[in-house]
Amino acid sequence: MHSSIRPNQFVVIQLPSDQTRIVKLVPNTIVQLGKYGSFAANQILGRPFFFTFEILDAPQSDGYQLRVVPAEELHAENLIEEAEADGEGEEGESGASTPMRTNRNIVDDASTQKLTTQEIEELKKEASGAGKDIVAKLLESHTNLDKKTAFSLAKYTLRKRKKYIRRFTVLPLDVGFLTNFLLDQRDAQRTMELRDEHVGLLGCLGNVHHGGNSTLDAIPTIKPNGRYFVVDETGGLVVAAMAERMGILYPEDDEEEDLNEDSSAMAQDGTETTEKKTTSTPRRKRPRPMSASGNTITVIHAYSQPNLSLLKYFGYDINTPDESHPLHTHLKTMSWLQLVDPSTDPILSNEPPALSAEELSGLKASKRTAYYFKRNRWEKFRAVTDEARAGGFDGLIAATLLEPAGVLKHTIPLLSGSAAVAIYSPTIEPLTELMDLYSTARRTAFINRKRDLEMQKTSDGETVDFAPLSEEFPLDPTRLLPPTLHTTRVRAWQVLPGRTHPLMTGRGGAEGYLFHGVHVIPASANIQAAGTFRKKRKVETTSTPASDRDVEMTS
Amino acid sequence: MPSPFLTPGSVAQADDVALLHLRRDQTIPTILRATDDENLGYKEGKVSNTRFGSFPHSTLINQPWGSQIVASKVDTGSRGRKPSNKRKAEELEASGTTTGAEDSSSLKKPEAASSGFLHLTYPTPESWTLSLPHRTQVVYTPDYSYILHRLRARAGGTVIEAGAGSGSFTHAAVRAVFNGYPSEKSATKKRRLGKVCSFEFHEQRAARVKEEISEHGLDGLVEVTHRDVYEDGFLLGDPKTGRSPKASAIFLDLPAPWLALKHLVRKPASGTESPLDPSSTAYLCTFSPCLEQVERTVRLMRQLGWLDISMVEVNHHRIDVKRERIGLDCEGVRGATVFPKSVDEAMSKLLTDDERAKRLRTAHLEGTRANLTEEDTTSTPKDQTVPTYNLGRLVHRTESEIKTHTSYLVFAILPRDWSEEDEQKCRRKWPSDKLEAEEKMAPKTRKQQKKEFKELRLREQQEEKEEKEQQATETSEA
Repeated sequence: MHSSIRPNQFVVIQLPSDQTRIVKLVPNTIVQLGKYGSFAANQILGRPFFFTFEILDAPQSDGYQLRVVPAEELHAENLIEEAEADGEGEEGESGASTPMRTNRNIVDDASTQKLTTQEIEELKKEASGAGKDIVAKLLESHTNLDKKTAFSLAKYTLRKRKKYIRRFTVLPLDVGFLTNFLLDQRDAQRTMELRDEHVGLLGCLGNVHHGGNSTLDAIPTIKPNGRYFVVDETGGLVVAAMAERMGILYPEDDEEEDLNEDSSAMAQDGTETTEKKTTSTPRRKRPRPMSASGNTITVIHAYSQPNLSLLKYFGYDINTPDESHPLHTHLKTMSWLQLVDPSTDPILSNEPPALSAEELSGLKASKRTAYYFKRNRWEKFRAVTDEARAGGFDGLIAATLLEPAGVLKHTIPLLSGSAAVAIYSPTIEPLTELMDLYSTARRTAFINRKRDLEMQKTSDGETVDFAPLSEEFPLDPTRLLPPTLHTTRVRAWQVLPGRTHPLMTGRGGAEGYLFHGVHVIPASANIQAAGTFRKKRKVETTSTPASDRDVEMTS
Repeated sequence: MPSPFLTPGSVAQADDVALLHLRRDQTIPTILRATDDENLGYKEGKVSNTRFGSFPHSTLINQPWGSQIVASKVDTGSRGRKPSNKRKAEELEASGTTTGAEDSSSLKKPEAASSGFLHLTYPTPESWTLSLPHRTQVVYTPDYSYILHRLRARAGGTVIEAGAGSGSFTHAAVRAVFNGYPSEKSATKKRRLGKVCSFEFHEQRAARVKEEISEHGLDGLVEVTHRDVYEDGFLLGDPKTGRSPKASAIFLDLPAPWLALKHLVRKPASGTESPLDPSSTAYLCTFSPCLEQVERTVRLMRQLGWLDISMVEVNHHRIDVKRERIGLDCEGVRGATVFPKSVDEAMSKLLTDDERAKRLRTAHLEGTRANLTEEDTTSTPKDQTVPTYNLGRLVHRTESEIKTHTSYLVFAILPRDWSEEDEQKCRRKWPSDKLEAEEKMAPKTRKQQKKEFKELRLREQQEEKEEKEQQATETSEA
């Protein structure tokens, strides 16, 4: 992630009204901010993030029309207020305090503001100082200003400033800002009302992190680290969040932008990249898509194509992938059909015949490209499928509309021992049902039923058929410990001298819940539990034993 | 040595830290040792004793992570051990006479016990947080997950932490910034490796954290410094002339964070180097339980030019899910409530009760004993088709004990260093008044590409046809 604004990158522009916009900064273009004016993209390129700019009325000699608002000015009011509060405190102690202002004499109507709408409109056209003049005039012509309490005055000024002042702040677009933007200003349902705190907790519970440099040491005996299954129905937000944690979301800083570089060097750089694209370098040298062995995300999708459209904000379009982007090699996608029943998958089941060099040279150029396209696609999906079905994954992260039980049924056997499972759901019902599938009563019943089937086997001397077991129990309740359900919510506060309190309003909607468990491998032999027995367990013979007795030792 | 926290591999190896999962919220951390390093006198080498049995480490080492492990028969009584460890005192209760230590040169092969097991899992910051030895108040998962997310602590970053406390946040932070072990540095080019710089002013705690970091294979990824940061700031090594950690994220879990803020500036007044990374945005979080601390901190942050200051608290709780059975037919079922489950059931109960009372009354009047047992047995038919685990209604409620307040989190941001010189360079590079009129051609979409590809093929086919026709005409001409 960069600390300064780069060309052709998406950034967040925060306006005085607390609205945010996502803008792609193309060099030499103008960015429109609606009623707050407009500015040239070049005037903020290369500058640090989190700067607040004010749009000046007249450009400087070199055409620069912005002013960086220093932090003291942004905090000016609070600083003054704080200083005053100190003074007041001392006065109060000496006993000579002025009578407290209240709102008892304030008339609640619009007549207090003397300026008419028309006058304000005219002011807007004329006034200079990036809207500060308007705010000042508005305050001047308010008749009851002196009657207002400090609090209401502050609120009034703030409201007017939000409306008129021509300032904006540039923030880097990362998963945190994108999450908030989608939640507040887009259709929150489409990202399953995922909040920042969910994103953080989901990644931690899933133990998602960078897998180290396993690709570099290339020791075949050690299993590759950091392979995660992701089931994402939020349009790519969960994938982006996990990729951010794994350090594969942002293009690498191969050449950390050096300010000493001349503009000509930059221009050269631009042409270079376009050249690279046009003059096709030898095929072998290009990184094959989905080819990384460690630190990878394998997305399992329900339709034939994954919906990862939100990744475009991070410079990765799944349809026209940028080969230098780390996601090109580290993001793998496969459908449920490819994972569960690859023999019926239309792509995997139709292997294009491997042609010899002779046969290939006999083909027309376009046929050859078509052949390569098909053959490469088949090879790519074959490799992804084989690798996924071989298992050994380090975690499963899901935010899905699918029934959680089905997702777990097919993915848990592919997780390595001790790997974490973390599932997000906006509503609790799918997860309580899942919790019930792992209930102690069900686990005990499962263990007993399994033992019975094995007993039959030893008497018959045949291989044991566990089909009735999987019929009765959709999930093996002994393979996940300890199933836990979490919910979390962040509450924001306002911190001002003498006026600290939680914000008055907030977002409602889905509460958001997380399911967490760790994949464990039960021993092949039946093991009696030990420990503090409430009651001695009898040897059960019925298929449905009185279940709740062994709550303590089986977990 | 790779850390099992970050790259656990597939099997537990000797000297790894492992967590022995007994049951929910009962996990014992231990260092796996092939030999009896503390010389406790077990014949099987190092043994972990739990309430669910004894587990010689030879039964744990080289087992796949996540395995269920059977307890072993361990003679815990007949060792010549002086009771030194309080935690292990309970095993002394086991029967047996003390006969003194025997020759431990050859380890005894453990024998499986008839009952008892645990699950062997690799440590994660989450499980470590729940099982670590408490020295101070711990920052729990819901808080640190949100903090690290907001601090943008990502692979390759550097985090400053003060104070280290019990090391819960330390482990979570090192996972967040990890992107390779320091020894691999020479192999890669100049890629920056993630690092946590931890400060602790309590000498014993600092030493203990240092020890744990080394036991957990995190040496080089975490640098623990014993330091009073209020006085001496955040430079590594010597407080005045030491190296700057060049941090981009700072977490202050201190009683008076405002006293440490003066060191976290771009140009310290004392003339020393800034601990912040000059070329990146600095993200700061303070963790204070009291509102007064927050107000003081925020005030100083405003004076020091921190931006985007916000304060939040994290409310988290776990939820218990269970099946609740209510009905007159669940007499004797554990956890069930004997009460009519519906108005219908209540009414029929009222009727039967009334009838019963009537019969009792008539019987009393007539002076005979009423026979009621027969009816009782017929009125409770048991439904045997549905297994018990599927009976009742699925309900959920918040766990019985919750943390209603952990601490207030104050977040703030300090933009990177920016001088007038930088600004002028930037203006030269990106001329303010240069504008491009023409629109760039939009990149081809997949659909467009497909369409073009089809057209190309169509054209080719046509060409082929024409060629053939031409050939045909040529041959016919010939």
